[in-house]
Amino acid sequence: MRILVVEDDPLVGDAVRRALAMESYAVDLVASAEAAAAALHAETFNLAIVDIGLPGASGLQLLRDARQRGLAVPVLILTARDGLDDRVAALDLGADDYLVKPFQVPELLARCRAVIRRAHAVAGTELALGALHLDLAHRAAAVDGHALDLTLREWSILECLAFNAGRIVSRERLTQAVVNWSEDLTPNAIEVYVSRLRAKLGGAVNIRAVRGMGYRIDVQSH
Amino acid sequence: MSKATDEVPSVTRRLLALLLLPAVAILMAGTLADYFTAVAPLGEAYDQALIDAAIAIAGRVVTTPGGRPALSLPPEAAAILRADSIDSVFFHVSAADGRHISGDAGLPDVPDRGGNPARGNSTFRGEPVRLVSYRTTAGTAPVTVTVGETLRKRDRARAAVLTTAVTVDVAELGLMLVLIWLGVRLALAPVRGVAAQIHRRSARDLAPLPLARVPVEIRGVVEALNRLFATVTRAGAEQRRFLESAAHQLRTPLTGIQAQIELLADDETDPLRRERLRNVLDGAHRLAHTTHQLLALARSDEAVTLDHRLEAVDLAAVVEAVLNERIATADDAGIDLGAQVEPACIRGVPWLLAEALGNLADNAVTYTPRGGSVTLRCGHDGHPFLQVTDTGSGIPPAERERVLDRFHRGSNARGDGSGLGLAIVQEVAHLHGASLTVAAGPHGKGTIVTMQFRAAQQPDPA
Repeated sequence: MRILVVEDDPLVGDAVRRALAMESYAVDLVASAEAAAAALHAETFNLAIVDIGLPGASGLQLLRDARQRGLAVPVLILTARDGLDDRVAALDLGADDYLVKPFQVPELLARCRAVIRRAHAVAGTELALGALHLDLAHRAAAVDGHALDLTLREWSILECLAFNAGRIVSRERLTQAVVNWSEDLTPNAIEVYVSRLRAKLGGAVNIRAVRGMGYRIDVQSH
Repeated sequence: MSKATDEVPSVTRRLLALLLLPAVAILMAGTLADYFTAVAPLGEAYDQALIDAAIAIAGRVVTTPGGRPALSLPPEAAAILRADSIDSVFFHVSAADGRHISGDAGLPDVPDRGGNPARGNSTFRGEPVRLVSYRTTAGTAPVTVTVGETLRKRDRARAAVLTTAVTVDVAELGLMLVLIWLGVRLALAPVRGVAAQIHRRSARDLAPLPLARVPVEIRGVVEALNRLFATVTRAGAEQRRFLESAAHQLRTPLTGIQAQIELLADDETDPLRRERLRNVLDGAHRLAHTTHQLLALARSDEAVTLDHRLEAVDLAAVVEAVLNERIATADDAGIDLGAQVEPACIRGVPWLLAEALGNLADNAVTYTPRGGSVTLRCGHDGHPFLQVTDTGSGIPPAERERVLDRFHRGSNARGDGSGLGLAIVQEVAHLHGASLTVAAGPHGKGTIVTMQFRAAQQPDPA
């Protein structure tokens, strides 16, 4: 896994580089949008972490240019501004996620994993959550290489939760994920499917109930 | 003109007063002039008839063979003279010494004041009369012929003239009132248009007012307003630039410091040094938190006032976002953090609402003992609301008013009791026109803090 970090502040850049390196990512650190554009042109990265506030061209400018050039590299934007507009602008320009400074290292790592995971799920056919692997094309799940026997509905719920790992997925959304047009499903039914899923997954991943909201898959860092 | 404008100066009222009062005075003077110009010839005509009668009677005064004057008037002629269906007509012929010669004895003469015939008013047989005395001579003897008549005809004619004049003038006055009122209203319509335009726009709208249809009389006012709008807009833009710069300048090094200490602490093998680094990291986190809150507070007003970017906000999404961010902290604190979500929508600034709800949630988590629960609610109970319920120790009713003070001592357990949390909650409530209330939880246990928004607001498709 190779990650490009575009950050002009040496203290932040160094910390991000070290944190990612400790997670065994290969990290290239550059301090300007121009240098980043050159790196993106020359090399292939699994993820780009881009600070908005760069000297010269901004991170958003870099993102826009990269997308216009057809680069599909997943991008995690860093910004010091917490308003919604920047987030909307960044996401509209094709950023995959957005992290407001000051962030803590575990959160940065979790976001990186999530962005990479989603990018793989969208681009390819596989989604990995710790020991859990989902083969999206064949709708097959395996824990540590051992295939799980899931019903179609259990699969749909797991897929929906896995796509949104680390985020709460509402019961309504899970219901929509499993219901055919002709059928109706009570929220209780979702509970039943989730508890069966939990039993089948063992301790591989934790499906956490969030009272009044829904469920969330929490991934332990690997 | 409504009650509300009674106390304040009004150009309309001033104009109406300035135009209407003189108009009324002029019309009244006109009425009087009309009356007198009509009445004077009228009296003259009636007098002339009396004079003619007096001269005719004087022509009938003859001198008797004894040299004494006498009246030779056949009864038919006298009857014709007295014939009048409305007034009573009197006549009297007297000698220079006042001696009665003929006619109605006792009819007073008009004293000789030089004019002949002389005219005057008096009373006869209990009724006011108009008199004409004509002095002449019969042979050599001077005689006075006085003819009088009661005033009924004159009064009637005068009344008729007065009625006509007043009726016509009142009609004129009424018409003039209407025309002046319409004129003033039409003339001031553009002024009212500008006022309505200013009134209609949002208090946060700082776009300049269009000058095209502003009357020249108030153009200066509107231009001054536009200059003020421009100044405020500029000041807002400068403030925004400053805050953006400050945010960047503060947050970036904080991020670096935090992350570096975190990495150092992870690397450190000596437990004592590791503990010290953790303490430093804790301080950095508090500093970061306070910085975040300060910036949020500084930006909150600007976000609503100058951006006027109020948008339709789904409160359920706000609850979900806050819950998502806080769930790990709550787990660490042994608190069951949950939600109870019903559809509710307001116009607002999403990130500010999330800040406020987040602060309320943090506060509830901090003050709820391990094993308790905190519930974030949103819904529509006549008014849309956001609510945080906890199963903490609760607050005695007497102290409930002061409960928001908790923020001041605030989160001391985690050491970020800067009071900014409360300030943010209150500011966000204020900016969204919401009220903040504190109540006891179910069965008197725990606390419920509610932010209730004013009106039921529908999501705006625009």
